[in-house]
Amino acid sequence: MVNVTIDDKQVTAPKTATIYEAAKLNGIKIPILCHDKKLKPFGACRMCLVEVEQMKGRQIPACTTPVTEGMIIRTSTPDIIKARKMVLELLLLNHPLDCPVCDKSGDCDLQNLTYEYKVNTNRFKDEKFHHSIDYNNPLIERDMNRCVLCGKCARICDEIVSFGALTFIDRGIETKIGCEFDDALNCEFCGSCISVCPVGSLLARPFKHKARFWALTKHTSVCGYCGTGCNLTLGVKDNKVLTTIYDENQGFHKGQLCVRGRFGYQFINSSQRLTSPLVRKNGKLMETSWDEALELVAGRLKNGTSVAALATPRLTNEELALFKTLLLENVGTKNFDHSAGFAHSALTEGFVRSFGESASSASILDIQKSDMLLVIKTDSYETHPVVGFEVNMAVKNKGVKLAIISDKRGKLSKLPDATTLVHRPGCEVAILNAIAKTIIDEKLFVDTASTVPGYAEIVKALSEFSAESVAAQSGLAAADIKKLASEYATAEKALIVFPVGQGYAGHNADLASATANLAILTGKYGKEGCGVLCLSEKSNSQGAVDMGFYAQDGGLNGLQILDACVSGTVKTLFIAGEDPLTSYPDRTKVKAALDAVEFLVVSELFLTETAAMADVVLPACSFAEKEGTFTSTDRRVQYIKPAIRKNAQTKTDYEIFSDLITCLGGQAAVTPAEKFSEIAEHAPGYTGLSHIILRKDGAFATAATKPAFVVPKATPSPATENGKFALVTGSVLYHNGTLSQYGEGPMHVCPEGYLELSRTDASAYKIADNDLITVASAAGSMQLKAKVSSRMPAGVVFAPYHFSSAPINTIWTGSPVTMVTVAK
Amino acid sequence: MNPITPIINGMKITFKHMFLKPVTLQYPTERPKVSQRFRGLHGLKVSHSKAKCVACYLCPTVCPAKCITVEAAEDANHDKYASVYEIDMLRCIFCGYCVEACPVDALKMTGEFELANYHRQDFIYSKERLLEK
Ligand code: SF4
Ligand code: SF4
Ligand code: SF4
Ligand code: SF4
Ligand code: SF4
Ligand code: FES
Repeated sequence: MVNVTIDDKQVTAPKTATIYEAAKLNGIKIPILCHDKKLKPFGACRMCLVEVEQMKGRQIPACTTPVTEGMIIRTSTPDIIKARKMVLELLLLNHPLDCPVCDKSGDCDLQNLTYEYKVNTNRFKDEKFHHSIDYNNPLIERDMNRCVLCGKCARICDEIVSFGALTFIDRGIETKIGCEFDDALNCEFCGSCISVCPVGSLLARPFKHKARFWALTKHTSVCGYCGTGCNLTLGVKDNKVLTTIYDENQGFHKGQLCVRGRFGYQFINSSQRLTSPLVRKNGKLMETSWDEALELVAGRLKNGTSVAALATPRLTNEELALFKTLLLENVGTKNFDHSAGFAHSALTEGFVRSFGESASSASILDIQKSDMLLVIKTDSYETHPVVGFEVNMAVKNKGVKLAIISDKRGKLSKLPDATTLVHRPGCEVAILNAIAKTIIDEKLFVDTASTVPGYAEIVKALSEFSAESVAAQSGLAAADIKKLASEYATAEKALIVFPVGQGYAGHNADLASATANLAILTGKYGKEGCGVLCLSEKSNSQGAVDMGFYAQDGGLNGLQILDACVSGTVKTLFIAGEDPLTSYPDRTKVKAALDAVEFLVVSELFLTETAAMADVVLPACSFAEKEGTFTSTDRRVQYIKPAIRKNAQTKTDYEIFSDLITCLGGQAAVTPAEKFSEIAEHAPGYTGLSHIILRKDGAFATAATKPAFVVPKATPSPATENGKFALVTGSVLYHNGTLSQYGEGPMHVCPEGYLELSRTDASAYKIADNDLITVASAAGSMQLKAKVSSRMPAGVVFAPYHFSSAPINTIWTGSPVTMVTVAK
Repeated sequence: MNPITPIINGMKITFKHMFLKPVTLQYPTERPKVSQRFRGLHGLKVSHSKAKCVACYLCPTVCPAKCITVEAAEDANHDKYASVYEIDMLRCIFCGYCVEACPVDALKMTGEFELANYHRQDFIYSKERLLEK
């Protein structure tokens, strides 16, 4: 701490603080334009000028100058005010001043400062800029005429997003922000640049001219897409969510969002939303009343064990807990599950066996505190982009080492000094086992490891995973595996990260145990910056596990339920929000199951393919219309409240389940808040939490670890065959599950499914980008557009699973790697 | 005071007025000439055969009666214009704040004061009706 005097006030500030930070900490406001607390100091605009007595009254920028002991600072002398006015005059000199048509008006730093400093005349004269405006992409408009050259957009895109789409181009008065070769913007469209731009140079096109900033009501919420659990502020007008608003103080991510969170909100007010219950009459879905629909459903739910249910982990904890009560107590069935039954097995089986708890042993906050990150699959960036930002910052700002084991390269591979071991698809577990064996062989494990239960077994079981043999089967070099092993073992702190989800069948309990073994062997768990972080797929995937909404005690799991529908043991199927026809493996089987089941109830926002097959469709509510809690991938429990009023003809899933309980003669459910108190009593780690506590920032549910070594099964990857490709499935950056298909933003930039293949294969098969190609596996064949990329290794192809228009499960039956043929 | 005096005084005034110009207008055959600053029905100014309004939303923001509805849109040249501009004359209090707020001088108040109508719906003046002819 150092002592400084700011405007005659004696204050203290941390040694590392700049004058701006010291002043802010002590409630003294210094105007800024080019500074952002998330970015490195830059000093481009000179709005923050202050006088320091020791520097003979020279005017210096507060945002770049560190404080020193005894500094005497003045922030608003007449000279400084004059200097700031001049800065504004010069900025306004070439500025178009078209506030009436500029969407930034009302939220514009330049406008606010001009008003505050009463700059209403200009002593200088010059021509305005005549830069052409970039309207080339549907999400971000770039009008460089309004730019004040603060560089924030270029800096955030580099420092945090690590994409580097924008930079200063040209020189002198011609300087502007542009893309490569002054081309159109074509990037990952996270919108971070828009969020920090102090003026109206960068604007969100989906929101363009929709409303003025001051007319919006701001509602804090939690993103309804992936498990990162980013905090959001929704801008609402006339009961419509019109945009997301940047708030640099929100959440661990300080307001950073990915393309889905920022631009994918349109599904909330989509005109395609269901607005009335539907009942199948004479083969057609007809609108009906809630009473009739619920009575019909309740009648069918009386059949006990012949009832089964699938729920999406986008429901709140309260809803899942209530659904479970309905099924267990009022219906009397144990057949319920979520996420196809396998996407949560890393937690519910893997971590339970290895760590004694169905939760990750690390949090997202550990990423930047670690010394080394071991990421399984480069897809971790695409599945959880804001977690990816943390990795970017850890590597670029904190010098954290990054090693990646993946079946393809990806954005993470491009980070400075990142090592990517690109292996043959499906070998992850074997490689992790080889790393564990190397650690044991080279005695790099900690002493306590040998006392952990299962040690003897694991040593014995790993004997067949020598680095050499695994290297041979996975296409890696043994030396690389050994090097990685010693790097991991010798790092002071190391964290393993891997994504799970319906597109990642191979990321199962065995993979979780294989990663856990490494952490336990080297003692890298239960400490800051250490552990294993499993990135769960959807907004409440971890919550669904915590609520116990998965097959237990002999209940059928997700895929078994579908089998049971075909065999006839399950007669009534209740699907809450899932779209198995698109997202579960083996479309033929799913279709057969939904055809075979006697009675299908679907509660949904949209008439999905699955809902279209139902006997009763119940219109449900999105996250923006209900109250409850979501648990993020690292078990941060966060509270959401309605941002808009729901359509009178829809019900939240909570209300639907509650109504069904009463129809079945049970007691109507308590309020979600009271339900959460009940949850807090039983769910492990939730003790002491309540809606009131969670209202502001949420809270972590604690996880206790009880380590054990478990022998992970390494399924051999399918043999390569001549003329066949190894198909791996997964998620793309722009989508999450099947819901993002109803978000206009994601659909603008990634509207359809595709097959990504390497340049080598593309030229061998004479395939060019966007060619329609036929992909066939043992299960079936389909047509997909080709996407040629440099990140895929030869012989491997990748396809995302999100799209109903190109359901990859036509050819994919649930194995981590599918052998396919490709023809033009 | 003589009880007759006030009556005589009253009659004086009455007789005087018989020779003065009458104040009452024989509306509707006679019509008033409103002053330049009269605040009657709004008019949207036109320039280059387009409404001058750029849909900046300042008039609906400032309007104390909250009777102006503006919806902005982007035309083919990416220019902002008001796709909807509506004033609910039943709520308007003719304060003129909207005219004062307009940054592009797109709005005026005309001398038009005959706003009576048969249906409430007819008091909602759409952009079409407000455009100066
Ligand atoms: S950037 Fe700010 S000052 Fe410039 S036109 Fe837009 S609102 Fe006005
Ligand atoms: S949207 Fe994201 S990736 Fe694209 S330029 Fe802006 S910050 Fe960079
Ligand atoms: S576009 Fe915006 S953020 Fe980028 S330099 Fe210009 S003013 Fe700054
Ligand atoms: S989709 Fe995930 S990473 Fe993106 S904003 Fe939402 S929670 Fe954050
Ligand atoms: S203030 Fe003027 S430009 Fe703005 S919306 Fe009203 S009439 Fe249109
Ligand atoms: S804010 Fe300090 S120079 Fe721009």
